[in-house]
Amino acid sequence: MAEHKEEWGSKLGVILAVAGSAVGLGNFLRFPGQAAANGGGAFLIPYFCALFLLGLPIGWAEWTMGRYGGKKGLHSAPMIMGAIGKGGLARYFGVIGVLIPLGVSTYYMFIETWTLGYFLKYVTGGIGVDPAAPIAAQTAAAQAFYNAFTGTGSDGSLFTGDTLFTVFTWAAVFAINIFFIFRGLSKGIEKFVSFAMPVMAVCALIVLIRVLTLGTPDPAQPDQSVANGLGYMWNPNYSKLLDFKTWLAAAGQIFFSLSVGFGVIINYASYMKRKDDIALSGLTASATNELFEVGFGGMITLTAAFVFLGLSGTTAAVAGGSFSLGFATLPVVFAHMGAFGNFVGALWFLMLFLAAITSSLSMYQPAVAHIKESLNFSHVKSTTIIATIGTAGAFLTLWFTAGGSFWNTVDFWVGTYLIFVLAMVQIIYFAWVFGIDRGWKELHNGASIRIPPIFKIVMKYIAPAYLIIVFVGFTVQNFKASLAASWANTGARAGMLMIGAILAYLLVVTWMGQKRLRAAGFDIDDKLPSD
Amino acid sequence: MIISLIVVWVGTFWCFSKVLSTPQEEKVPPGFGP
Repeated sequence: MAEHKEEWGSKLGVILAVAGSAVGLGNFLRFPGQAAANGGGAFLIPYFCALFLLGLPIGWAEWTMGRYGGKKGLHSAPMIMGAIGKGGLARYFGVIGVLIPLGVSTYYMFIETWTLGYFLKYVTGGIGVDPAAPIAAQTAAAQAFYNAFTGTGSDGSLFTGDTLFTVFTWAAVFAINIFFIFRGLSKGIEKFVSFAMPVMAVCALIVLIRVLTLGTPDPAQPDQSVANGLGYMWNPNYSKLLDFKTWLAAAGQIFFSLSVGFGVIINYASYMKRKDDIALSGLTASATNELFEVGFGGMITLTAAFVFLGLSGTTAAVAGGSFSLGFATLPVVFAHMGAFGNFVGALWFLMLFLAAITSSLSMYQPAVAHIKESLNFSHVKSTTIIATIGTAGAFLTLWFTAGGSFWNTVDFWVGTYLIFVLAMVQIIYFAWVFGIDRGWKELHNGASIRIPPIFKIVMKYIAPAYLIIVFVGFTVQNFKASLAASWANTGARAGMLMIGAILAYLLVVTWMGQKRLRAAGFDIDDKLPSD
Repeated sequence: MIISLIVVWVGTFWCFSKVLSTPQEEKVPPGFGP
């Protein structure tokens, strides 16, 4: 039975879907900490450099490759990369473009569960932080709730007694995701993001206004003001610009924030019509991400923390990492906001939940598309198979919670390292194998804006070089230690085995797929002239 | 801070206004066209 061809209902739909995929917890929790630790306001200089020299060019290349593949009836990264790279090795590099989103989805939905769980707690009275208690006790209470909810104490702890709440919340999160994936691209993902993105913006705006109007809540602490809170993140320390680590951090932040090299843009763009604009669409999706990151994340998180916790409290919170900041520190902040604290907390975690789910939906779609086109399965069958794999992966995530070593291992290899690899491979194939002139022409097919020609040079020389330098720097800094940690305990080993299992499944399906598609007459090696 | 905020807010608004003002490809109803 022929299924209807999947495509976006409107140009705004694909923009909001890509923006939704990009906007996530990192915009609100990771960016502020990175900026504060790497020069404050001065960080925005290497940050915007990375946006224009790395993020935007690689993003545009992905949009172009995706739409090009879609013209040939191809929607998965392996088959699209195979067409771009004229077959062979490129196709198997493209497998990374499904491994990343599917692998990340296993633990990402766990984090999404936290956001929904906290939201539910805040609409029913909070997580038990007493604002009258000493700050140390409040922080301890918030941390204890976080540890219990996420099961960091020991493996399997989420499946016993009081902490079943986490498992049930995960089940709700999973069901919501699968519901929208089953409904398909236009009726599912597009419809949801068209609602979720504006709601997210409204929630962010309300929280922003609340934070900026906090003034100096404690007269006994006159230094803990909104102005000083903004200064904590934004006061520039230009000497940091002389440190290579600052430029590395900025490039990394832009990279992960825009979700380039993630396997999502290439899949989403493949459902566009051949003359749909991608130049302005790519720019708009990126701009939306930057608005949430710089305009909201950069203004809310650390300012709110500073006003209530002061310099030392905020510094400690940043040092604790993004998740500690978001799920242990901010609850203490909300507890101090008086009568409306729970309301603001609920809005904050609802916003994070919407940010997370618009990202997680984008992680399943590439995997569904991959098995669908490779084995000619129906949408229902494909979604069922991916949901089964997702459930298995999620079970491992929910079980191996001790110290977070399972998901930290998967996050490093699949959610960090392989993203650098895929982005490097993609831009090199795009600019050097497909050809920059051909790629530039294809990018501007149907374009609503003309991209300045300087970006041709950026795409061919600067972005690949920048990426290689960042990749080498990152490898030198992290590879050895991460390799050792990846086999250090049961959780980490389970993570590595899961990655191996998913990779094996993807390689087999890709191999079967290229045989089937070639036999069915698809131009998977780009042998036919393009229009 | 001010420059960054102006860039992201104005930039995003400009992008969306351009997207919304660019006409979507019109579908020619059946029976019409060359």
